[in-house]
Amino acid sequence: MSNDALDDMLEFHWIIDMLQTVDVGIVVLDREFKIKMWNGFMESHSGKLPSEVRDQSLFSLFPDINRDWFAQKAKPVFELKTRAFMLWEQRPYLFKFSNYRPITSSEQFMYQNIILAPLVSATGKVDNISMMIYDMTDIASGKKQLEALQVTQSEAQERGSRGS
Amino acid sequence: MFSVLICDDSLVARKQVAKCLPQDWEVAIHFAKHGGEAIEALKAGKGQVLLLDLNMPEMDGYQTLEAIGQLGLKTSVIVVSGDVQPEAHERVKKLGALEFIRKPVNAEELLAVLSKHGLIDGPEEAPETEFSPLDPDIRDCYQEITNIAMGRAGDHLARTLNVFVHLPIPNVNLIEVSELHMLLSDIDNHERVSAVCQGFVGPGVQGEALCILSDSSLEDVAKILNITGEVDDQKQLELLMDAASILIGTCLSGIAEQLDISFAQGQPVVLGQHRNITEIIATNKLKWKRTLAIEISYGLEGYQTVCELLLLFTESSMETLNYKLAHLLEDF
Repeated sequence: MSNDALDDMLEFHWIIDMLQTVDVGIVVLDREFKIKMWNGFMESHSGKLPSEVRDQSLFSLFPDINRDWFAQKAKPVFELKTRAFMLWEQRPYLFKFSNYRPITSSEQFMYQNIILAPLVSATGKVDNISMMIYDMTDIASGKKQLEALQVTQSEAQERGSRGS
Repeated sequence: MFSVLICDDSLVARKQVAKCLPQDWEVAIHFAKHGGEAIEALKAGKGQVLLLDLNMPEMDGYQTLEAIGQLGLKTSVIVVSGDVQPEAHERVKKLGALEFIRKPVNAEELLAVLSKHGLIDGPEEAPETEFSPLDPDIRDCYQEITNIAMGRAGDHLARTLNVFVHLPIPNVNLIEVSELHMLLSDIDNHERVSAVCQGFVGPGVQGEALCILSDSSLEDVAKILNITGEVDDQKQLELLMDAASILIGTCLSGIAEQLDISFAQGQPVVLGQHRNITEIIATNKLKWKRTLAIEISYGLEGYQTVCELLLLFTESSMETLNYKLAHLLEDF
């Protein structure tokens, strides 16, 4: 093997290692929503091994995910090469994972922001899409607290003005 | 006032024993971390009753009992230990202990022992706090894998930081939610300790690591990590995070390796910095009942620094953990 090829392979190795260990969920899906990649974050949080999920349909593994809704979301990603988003404010989670800090955090599950992005193949077509899952729990719980505080404050104000 | 002295090297165990004392018993409670401290306290008249652990650094329970005998100190000793060997039982009785109670203590048993020896008036109705204790085999196994993990962690630390690390025997216990809350509120009340917690999750196993460091030790930490220049508040927090990440990281990876799983780790969080601890306690009250706690106190030779590392595993993780451990046991 030439030196260049060896370097390329070593580089490929650490890039894969990085995808595997990054603290963001990475899933690659094909047009039939079969899973092509399932990184370490997904493995740890779901308890499902990459070998268990490979080439399985996302919907058979997670029956809670509505197929029609998800396909609708993903359609422009395949067809128009745009990105699609799911935000925790509208939909707290797609995968029901438990919170990262089960003992000292007050939330029951992981709030998630999800981005679907096209993966353009060598032929210029989109055969696969990537799904990135971000843990938003800390931000969500902070925001919920702030809102709760604002409500109590405005209630107190109202009581005060009524009393005077 | 009647006084009770609780001597145990584990903070969690001290709290647990204190919690099990009869509620309406008006006593002054004192604590000691090892035999030496206990003897000092007894000399000062703090401890008509001594609740004594056996496995402790510096001066263990047996040595303490001997010293009490030699010095002729007047106290009623009840040994509280996880060591359930009959021989230990015999030995402490010979050395003058009144009774032997197995860890974890429950309030009912403690009350029965106290009233049996006339240390408290008549038995009153005891609270029902009993739950199944940890199987001793499994406990040994947890202790052993933690030992191995710590050995590796100690080796790494010694190489990279050039310090000798004292490796204590890890304490493995099932603790109830209330005990952890007590521990956390204690951190909150003591402004001089800080805690960093970091969640970790692997397939079927989930938990949190809690690293507790006293603020006075931050200077030592700065020295060990080769930090020069002034250490302001911001820098202190950063140091705390660094020290915690090293300790948590090395220990966790040692455990993960032995169990043949890998953990994803979340971002570390300084407890109570952004949010009041009592509030945390109030909001997650109903979420879990008890947790498997592995408690390790690290000491460094030549430094005063003591650092407590608590690994807490959720109850739901125990099924996977026990299964993995059973595999390990078969290999031997």
